[in-house]
Amino acid sequence: MKIIPAIDILGGKCVRLFRGDYGQVKKYADDPIEVAKKFENDGAEFLHVIDLDGAKDGESVNQDLILQIANSVNIPIEVGGGIRNLQTVKTYLEGGVNRVLLGTKAVEDPDFLSNLIEEFGPERIVVCIDVKEEKVAIKGWRDITKISYLDFARKLKTLGVTEVLCTDVLKDGTLTVPNFEMYEQLYEFGFNVIAAGGVSTTDSIKKLNAIGLRGAVIGKAIYEGNLSIKDATEATKTISGLAKRIIPCLDVKNGRVVKGVNFKGLKDVGDPVELGKKYSDEGADELTFLDITASKEDRETTYEMVRQVARNVFIPFTVGGGIKTVEDVRKLLECGADKVSIGSAAVINPDLVREASEEFGSQCIVVSVDAKKVQGTYKIFIKGGSEETDLEAVDFCKKVEELGAGEILLNAMDNDGVREGFNIELLKMVTEAVKISVIASGGAGCLEHFLEPLKEDCADAVLAASVFHSGEIQIQQLKKYLEDNSITIRT
Amino acid sequence: MITIIDYNSGNRGSLTNTLDKLKIKYEVTSDPEKIAIASKVVLPGVGRAAQAMKELRKRNLIDVIRDLKVPFLGICIGLQVLADFSEEDDTICLSIISGKVKKFSSEMGLKIPQIGWNQVKFAENAKKDPLFQDIPDGSYFYFVNSYFFDASKEDIRAVTPYGVEFPSVIKKDNFYATQFHLEKSGEIGLKLLNNFLNL
Repeated sequence: MKIIPAIDILGGKCVRLFRGDYGQVKKYADDPIEVAKKFENDGAEFLHVIDLDGAKDGESVNQDLILQIANSVNIPIEVGGGIRNLQTVKTYLEGGVNRVLLGTKAVEDPDFLSNLIEEFGPERIVVCIDVKEEKVAIKGWRDITKISYLDFARKLKTLGVTEVLCTDVLKDGTLTVPNFEMYEQLYEFGFNVIAAGGVSTTDSIKKLNAIGLRGAVIGKAIYEGNLSIKDATEATKTISGLAKRIIPCLDVKNGRVVKGVNFKGLKDVGDPVELGKKYSDEGADELTFLDITASKEDRETTYEMVRQVARNVFIPFTVGGGIKTVEDVRKLLECGADKVSIGSAAVINPDLVREASEEFGSQCIVVSVDAKKVQGTYKIFIKGGSEETDLEAVDFCKKVEELGAGEILLNAMDNDGVREGFNIELLKMVTEAVKISVIASGGAGCLEHFLEPLKEDCADAVLAASVFHSGEIQIQQLKKYLEDNSITIRT
Repeated sequence: MITIIDYNSGNRGSLTNTLDKLKIKYEVTSDPEKIAIASKVVLPGVGRAAQAMKELRKRNLIDVIRDLKVPFLGICIGLQVLADFSEEDDTICLSIISGKVKKFSSEMGLKIPQIGWNQVKFAENAKKDPLFQDIPDGSYFYFVNSYFFDASKEDIRAVTPYGVEFPSVIKKDNFYATQFHLEKSGEIGLKLLNNFLNL
């Protein structure tokens, strides 16, 4: 949720009204431009600028000043007050203002509103729902209509409005608490909601944030020094106790864990159940079994292995390798796998990801992505990295997220086996683009390598094979190291 | 003897594997008569609330579950269906524990579903609960969920931070429920399950 400081302009000065009453004005500064710059300096990410003269008179009065503000700061601004014709909207949106706020005009002229949305896009046209005792207020909050705000919200939905800014007029400028229930209702309509009026404490901000609002406008509390932009912003930070996961990966062939370089010169390193239990006892957070069995006839060995692991290992485990159909997924889950990892099949037949996640839930569908840089772009490879596709890695990750994947296992082929660290560049690109968990794979050679993607916050989990199998790095040793470096780890 | 409600819920296997490991006898059934006279009942589950309610209804289990007086344990979806209502597919639930199931808000920059090990912090009213015997406060359990049960304070026994401090253990009368998968939470999960069995 964004914290949006308000700058209300009356007669060219920066003021606050009490409950929207033009008779109860308090002036805070002579130069609104200086105020805007100060807010930017204090860490504001967005500004809310209101032309109070404009709201009262029904036409833009302080337009030049507001455009100067827009061009004096490097953060986006939204502007409201007296915006009642196309020319004013154009002047603002073409003059450096990011979003315009429509109040009175949106109530009186729905056609005008839907035309604006058509022309400028819904994200640039914000409708103000100003509420006084459940009814919509217009004309600088001086006229109260008979329209209930919920009916108005319903209507806005049909007009294609996505952004609303809602003010409880009786709360505004009162330094009390916002009308949480009203915001919750509007949020449930599916709008991107910005709250205004009575937002004055970090507790209120946390509550608004928890509802899922897009932003909160803060006015008087900042001017009076009750709340700083920094503290307000801090209160919107996500709290999460979720630990970063350490995942040993076991390559399994014909029911045995093997180790080798590029699948050549495979060496038997043990029984999957025994190794799985060992890693689990040592504190691994999850296990991944990658079935590299060549022939289809040997699948039964794999299923038996999965059954055995499920009976003996009480942490989550994922099984990947050779999954081509929904039936393959079903069979593995029935044998006791918690998740399946789909590789080449997700590229060749993306519908599989959709079908499997619809059938079994996103939480058990991991898509394993092999990516390698080709002429400056990360491309997707299939069939164990042997075949290049023309798919771009970030686009593909976004696509599988849309199809319903719950996690992405991101293998950086350039880094794999080189033991020089995970591919931070690729991880950053993908984690910034998707909202699902990303597991880093490929390149771990020492403790520091594991720390890097976690510290940079571009991985939710780190996966490795050989450094664990060889005993070079013990799970407990790695966990202690990460914990000492302030990474949240399950202890 | 423990009775596991069989309602086509997906992860029954991991629960029975866990009980095998603990050498606990169990019966898996969807027979309302058997469930009504059970001495302990577990409702496991992964998947969606609407689907879970549909399957329970189909098997005539709604009233049987509501009327249970013996220790009951709901896991994950088995916790969420105890609520009045779930936002997931707008589902009317069992109304055993009051409150509503809500979705985590992605606005907060959270990854949804929540997947992984998160901290379980006891509420004041949980400190003497035998369910938590020998479980250290702040222990990590394994979660996989997009929704959480926004229960009333008096029914919350533990919370977990994920955007909000959401209830991760809930208890009302004989009904216990965990949002996390204790059957996938390693040793600590086995301990908690054992505590339930010893209630």
